[in-house]
Amino acid sequence: MLIPIERLVDGLVQTLLEQVLPDVGSRFARGQLYAVVDVLRNLRDRIDERPALLEAEAASAEAALVAAASGLRGGAGSEASGRIEAALAAAPASPVAERLVALRGAVVLAMHAIDDLPPAVADPARAVLGAHLGGQALREVALLKPSLLAEISGG
Amino acid sequence: MPTDDVRSRLERFLQGKLGATTKITAFDRSTEGFSQETFVVEATTGRRKRGFVVKREPVAGLLEPYDLEPEFRVLHALSDDPLPSPPTPWFERDPGVLDRSFYVMERLPGEVPVPAMKADGSGPFDDAERAAIGPQVVRALADLHAVDWRARGLAFLGDPGPGTAAARREIERWAARLERTAYPAPPILATALLWLRRHAPATDVVTLVHGDYRLGNFLVERAGASTRLTGILDWEMVHLGDPLEDVAWCCSPLWRAGSDLASALMTPDAFAAAYAAVARRAADPERLRFYDVLALVKMSVIMLTGLRGFSDGRTSDLRMAIFDHQLPFLAMLLAMTLGLPVG
Repeated sequence: MLIPIERLVDGLVQTLLEQVLPDVGSRFARGQLYAVVDVLRNLRDRIDERPALLEAEAASAEAALVAAASGLRGGAGSEASGRIEAALAAAPASPVAERLVALRGAVVLAMHAIDDLPPAVADPARAVLGAHLGGQALREVALLKPSLLAEISGG
Repeated sequence: MPTDDVRSRLERFLQGKLGATTKITAFDRSTEGFSQETFVVEATTGRRKRGFVVKREPVAGLLEPYDLEPEFRVLHALSDDPLPSPPTPWFERDPGVLDRSFYVMERLPGEVPVPAMKADGSGPFDDAERAAIGPQVVRALADLHAVDWRARGLAFLGDPGPGTAAARREIERWAARLERTAYPAPPILATALLWLRRHAPATDVVTLVHGDYRLGNFLVERAGASTRLTGILDWEMVHLGDPLEDVAWCCSPLWRAGSDLASALMTPDAFAAAYAAVARRAADPERLRFYDVLALVKMSVIMLTGLRGFSDGRTSDLRMAIFDHQLPFLAMLLAMTLGLPVG
């Protein structure tokens, strides 16, 4: 998630109070809306993204980076391997959110590091990093709920 | 600015254009169009009623930084063209009028089918509508690409020149916008940008490119087999470039509304073939693949821009917040389009 949870809750509350409440007609519905706002305000400082989701991505990224660096050792891939290993070593062990940010950066660095290498050298590393990216996309999509875009656009 | 204030100030603006007795007799803020504020207006002068659509620069939006003038100039230049673009008479930059820049288009008949499946699982078109509208959408795109942009005074959009320059300019345009969001590049997006730079294709022709030609920006008057395309909307991303960029965008999985059809109209292969036949221009599969990837990169960057505005507190429009959980869907599409192993 890119929006900090506190800001997300603040935005929800602001929209409910400024954009929705003025158009809510019945007293009971208004009362329920105020209750939603009350719940949200009190959730704001108590919730966080599930660490298990972050840990799964971090573990996948780390495994891919280790495999990529290992496959690049020796020959034309040595420098790229060294840069990836350095980025891995620089990633903090905890907290997991900070480790994940560092590992995502390391994946980007690795992709850049192998970009100019001959395909025979770069492709095995590209494949393991690509498998991580594809797997991570699938893990995240598995969490998605059916979209309400038609209702959001149609009002 | 409260909506009532927009209405009264807009009424004064229209009185200056249409006559002092002009009144706004209907006014609504549209839920469609995420990138600009859109107001639908009925103005009455004497007995004459006219419909307008007003597009205003938002405080925070998906296509920052905003400059509405280029799209206004294009729409204004095309106002008398047979192409179904909305006649667009006025642009106003003076912040004293509506606080931010805006332009006024004439309202065309029809509705905008949205690129999403309905709750009952149906798509935006039935079979008869699809059969009627598909060829019109292809024809209008070919006509748009046939516009003589030099003769219309649209060279100000910047001719990228021949070869790979058009593709490279688009890569750098969206890379710069990504950088502007100040988010670290998501790994899948960074990977896609590298892929694009390795595969930038050459084009032998530079045309007007709508930039957002797809389901959701088509105005349609439904009448079964006589269904008509009455308007092409949302020209915010208009530029000069490779016409296949529009073909790929229109065919992108982003706008299939739960089907496997390009813009819920016809298969992507059929769309590309129909376009090639009407435009008399080859729809090269490798170029289309490049623009498929670019389309997903563009949309990802657009969503990140909206998320940045929401995260910074410059807007609390929750339509921006929903992008946080739509980005993974784009990541998966990107992974698949790039040929990465998914699952």
